Amino acid sequence: MGSDERKQELFGKMKEGVIEYDEDQVVEAANALVDEGFDAYEGIMDGLAAGMEVVGELFDSQEYFVPEVLMCADALYAGLDILRPRVDMTGREAVKGEVVIGVVEGDVHDIGKNLVKMMFEVAGFTVHDLGADVPIDEFVEKQINTNSDIVALSAMMTTTMMGMKKAIVKLKEKNPDVMIMLGGAPVTGEIADMFGADGYSENASNAVSEAIKMVAALRKM
Amino acid sequence: MGKQAVLDAYQGKYTPVVPWVPYVGVHAGYLIGEPADKLLQDADLLAKGVLNAAERYNADGIPLAFDLAIEAMSMGIEAKWFPDNPPTVIDHPLQHKTMAEADLKVPGPKDGRWPLIIEAGKKVKEQLGDRALIGLTCGPLTLASHLRGAKFFTDMVKKPELAAEIMEFAALVTKESARIYAEEIGCDIVALVEPVGSQVRPETYDKFVIPACQPALETIHAADKVSALYICGDATKIVENMMYTGAHAVCVDEQLNMNYIRDCALKYGRGFAGNLKLTLALSLGLVDPREDAIVSLAAGGKIGFTFSPG
Repeated sequence: MGSDERKQELFGKMKEGVIEYDEDQVVEAANALVDEGFDAYEGIMDGLAAGMEVVGELFDSQEYFVPEVLMCADALYAGLDILRPRVDMTGREAVKGEVVIGVVEGDVHDIGKNLVKMMFEVAGFTVHDLGADVPIDEFVEKQINTNSDIVALSAMMTTTMMGMKKAIVKLKEKNPDVMIMLGGAPVTGEIADMFGADGYSENASNAVSEAIKMVAALRKM
Repeated sequence: MGKQAVLDAYQGKYTPVVPWVPYVGVHAGYLIGEPADKLLQDADLLAKGVLNAAERYNADGIPLAFDLAIEAMSMGIEAKWFPDNPPTVIDHPLQHKTMAEADLKVPGPKDGRWPLIIEAGKKVKEQLGDRALIGLTCGPLTLASHLRGAKFFTDMVKKPELAAEIMEFAALVTKESARIYAEEIGCDIVALVEPVGSQVRPETYDKFVIPACQPALETIHAADKVSALYICGDATKIVENMMYTGAHAVCVDEQLNMNYIRDCALKYGRGFAGNLKLTLALSLGLVDPREDAIVSLAAGGKIGFTFSPG
């Protein structure tokens, strides 16, 4: 077992590797973490996810754009592939929740949805990804079959965003307790409220914190 | 009506009255009770829809078809049709194939849907009266992302030679598309539309997008027509770069600050258009469209400004 100093060094390398979209650095640090007997779950949270959090801030401040964020995501996934199989959940808090995620019907733009999905996975949610151009009924059916806590709907276009309202009505009709989160380029918090959603994700980074709040609220019911 | 006002404004000139150009898109079909998938596959319906919308909204100028899949579909690339949206490209031939393996050809006026777009365009042009007709081409960056998929965004950093090769081809497609709108249909203005342009950093835009726009812009200017760049999303960081592509005008969406766009356009002597809130005002009514229009008009001024939805 290595020292705490060494552990922090490897977390730092993974974090920096994600921010600098340096897959090799992330892979090297993740392998070292495993070889030296450190905790893989901590590596995911304090290394990879911590790096992606900074990436989210860089995206918000328009220092990073879509190409950079996608490359950071590649680096994160490279580390996740190594660490995730080694995660030991014994004694840890159980899975935080289950999410059904997809892009609404008529819209095939899935870059944002994939980034949000990745953040959910990193945070330990079980994710049911329906892909893009998903009919409303598929969201309803999947939510019922999996008893997921949250349904996350994404839309890239103003026109397809309008379909979210119908989806929310139908989902709530079948299961009034389900929490619904909206995200995507044309969506704002005001629009999410107007459509009757329970949460709004401005970007991939805050989707998870929003989801955790929603699950906590749901479990208090 | 004011075709000349639109042409003047797009070229950065003073206009006594600010011209109005609604981007009606498939809403033109809605107005005549026709779904998008019928409207965009029938020359008569498209012409009828555009003419009706121009009349109904008392437009000074109007785009022919807001459909960025025309070029890709005319290359034989698969797209999906929707009743209330333009078609979306769902196949990306360069995702798993090289340029040589995919053997893509620049589509000409006889390929794909071009014959019906040309037929509709000529009909509209004949009957549009004193209004500017605007042809919209799929911009080279958007087309490159259609051809390669989302990977194209990382290629620009990780595989710049491959990205340059794809962009070079996309530039030729956009050039031919611009030629069809300018020469065969006789559109008064031809715009290169880049919905994904705002998703790259300014350095990437300069390196890949500006050079790829040049063949189309040269073609438009050689035909003595007016050129424009249309962009979606928060393009604040690249608006200034767009001003020096060589296009006459830059047209932006609702997320941008109109004062900033105006100042940039005045600095470079370009036209600019925007930015009535499409989502908040026109679709959802969360903002009063009249008040929103007053704000945009006050910010835009009368030099080089065209009022349009964002």
